[in-house]
Amino acid sequence: MAQTNFEKQINILDYALSSLWRHRMKSLSILLVFAAVIFLLASFQMVTQALSDKAKQVLAYTPEITLQKMSAGRQEAIPLAYKDKLAGIFGIRRVVPRIWGYYFDEVLLANYTVMGMDVEEMPEGSRLDTALASGKMPTPDEQGRVVIGHSVKKALDLEGRTTFSFFRPDLSLKTFTVSGEFSRSTDILTNDLIVMNLPDARDLYSIPAGKVTDLCVYVANPKEIDTIARKISEALPGVRVLTRPQIQKTYQVVFGWRSGFGSICLLSALAAFVILAWDKASGLSPEERREIAILKVLGWETSDILAVRFWESVIVSGLACMVGMTAAHIHVVYFAASLFRPVLMGWSVLRPDLHLLPRMEAGDILLILAFTVIPYLAATVIPAWRSATVPADSALGG
Amino acid sequence: MFLNPWSLALTLCSLVILVLGAVAGKTAVRVLRFWEPGSDSNRQIKLENEIWLSSTLVAYGLGFQIITLILFVLAADQFCQVIVGAMCATGALLANSYGMPALLVKLFGVFFYGFWILIHQLDIRSEHYPLVRIKYLALLLLLPLLVLDATLQTLYIAGIKPDIITSCCAVVFSDSTGGSTNLMTGYSQQGLLIAFIGSIVGLMAMGLVLLRRWQAWLVGLYAAGWLWFFGLSLVVITTVISSYVYAMPYHKCPFCILKPEYHYFGFALYGTLIPATFFGASAALAGLMRGKVGLGEMVDRYQRLAVKLSLILLVIFSGLSFYHYLKYLISGGEG
Repeated sequence: MAQTNFEKQINILDYALSSLWRHRMKSLSILLVFAAVIFLLASFQMVTQALSDKAKQVLAYTPEITLQKMSAGRQEAIPLAYKDKLAGIFGIRRVVPRIWGYYFDEVLLANYTVMGMDVEEMPEGSRLDTALASGKMPTPDEQGRVVIGHSVKKALDLEGRTTFSFFRPDLSLKTFTVSGEFSRSTDILTNDLIVMNLPDARDLYSIPAGKVTDLCVYVANPKEIDTIARKISEALPGVRVLTRPQIQKTYQVVFGWRSGFGSICLLSALAAFVILAWDKASGLSPEERREIAILKVLGWETSDILAVRFWESVIVSGLACMVGMTAAHIHVVYFAASLFRPVLMGWSVLRPDLHLLPRMEAGDILLILAFTVIPYLAATVIPAWRSATVPADSALGG
Repeated sequence: MFLNPWSLALTLCSLVILVLGAVAGKTAVRVLRFWEPGSDSNRQIKLENEIWLSSTLVAYGLGFQIITLILFVLAADQFCQVIVGAMCATGALLANSYGMPALLVKLFGVFFYGFWILIHQLDIRSEHYPLVRIKYLALLLLLPLLVLDATLQTLYIAGIKPDIITSCCAVVFSDSTGGSTNLMTGYSQQGLLIAFIGSIVGLMAMGLVLLRRWQAWLVGLYAAGWLWFFGLSLVVITTVISSYVYAMPYHKCPFCILKPEYHYFGFALYGTLIPATFFGASAALAGLMRGKVGLGEMVDRYQRLAVKLSLILLVIFSGLSFYHYLKYLISGGEG
């Protein structure tokens, strides 16, 4: 019995395929629109996934706790003297002052990340030289030495020379000499980065002596992060204490939120598609009515015709999923998701080029299926039933 | 937290299921009021057509319900990344008091839908449609379950408060334990394993006796045994089997085994346990329908098939659940 049932389903599938082929223009139009909807949703999902992966990768290298001074709800320079107040807290491995800023190059319309820090003070500082393709990290007493990332070198056109100049806030020029270059393997972190020592960065941004933009706190045991963060915020009330897990969660929420927002916008496209599918499925031509009537006269039951319609929907959804998801993958990998990147990454259009690597797990595919295929199947089932219950005599007699 | 693709997909699916259920419910009311098997009036013919619609809708609903069940667990796994102290789906589901009830309602919903489809399949095998009224009464009883499912799920999603950096300070002063939250503790592993093995042996014995000499009371016992075994298996998977899969004595979680890191092992485990329980329990349910006109032979055939299927699935399930345990005992675990 199981055997015959299986054979019956295979035959019905065969019939469904031939039926789709006979109405190929209609099937193709549905397929293309469906694939477009899936493409939009899947791209969104893939970009979100890739960006939050990237954020995770970047955050793995950040200090466990970052301290920023707040004044009137805004960040301002933090005095180096705060470092001493943290001396009594156990579990802190090291506190490293840092100047972190952006430099907007008005000529080239590019944004660089500038980081000023004493490399030797960092816990793994001596190993940083291994991240360089050439040269070495600037030491605190070498003035005007910088290490740059790949895009910076390209943007500043530094092939034949090693010096370049930036403007201070008062428009006087400060000259730098390139002493090293980051290797391409750390591009995700260092592509747009310019590293210099603290006095140089302070000079470039005209930050008063004894101040930096933030203090990085390295914690030996990750389980103590929350406790230490609490102690710090009790010791330094006016300071914003950011922990790495917190930043990670915030990124996750923001990406999830943006992707959810995008999905809501795409829901209208989905609704339009569902209406189209419903309409296409319910508008039966006289030939189709006759076809169903003949099948019924030949002994087909209502359930068989419903099964044909079900298989048709499954085939169309399956093909549309393959086409849509493949297109989304190509869009994200080869075109860096150019359609959606502005929505997901914020306002900056000056970032260096980014290579996104979408990671699709079975769960993500299921999510996209739930978003698209379930509404489609639901929209076609009632028209399918209507067509399946066409009375044989009226369709043939008319 | 509705603005998240997972929450949106779950809500969308629930809405679709509710709409399908409502349309099927409309037919159910009409059938209960106007069904006249002997009549050949226009209304009766229309109703006989509508039966097809409603059964197709419930079949779709079952499929969608299974998908939302999986989606719900996967979504919880995603949510845990933004909730304080949650390490995996367990923590996310325990984040508010609606998570676990929503999951249980979804899980049992799958069984009830399956039972409905079984009754429907038996019904259409007979020319007289003897089960029509029972079937549509059951369908109307299923609708509140659907509404409950959607409500619990919505309350759960609405209740999730992601823990993000506020503008003043990022430190959370609540206690973020960060450790492992386990669903069940305090069971003796030894006792549980003995009960588990005992139940498997008992079910096997009952099933084999049934196939040799059919006895009505034994079918009832067999079904009850399956329901007991289902609950016990969920406990055993959580407290004993899962930690052997993870190769970590203190990680006891029934959800993480569904993840790709563990080769989607959980899908195989639950994918055999749930159908096995369904077939085991439905044999008795089908037995209740034996008295109706023209169903005797169908019911007999189905019962034998169901018992056979449940035994086969039980063997696979036992093999799967002891695989990591035996591997540990023989080869000393991972690597």
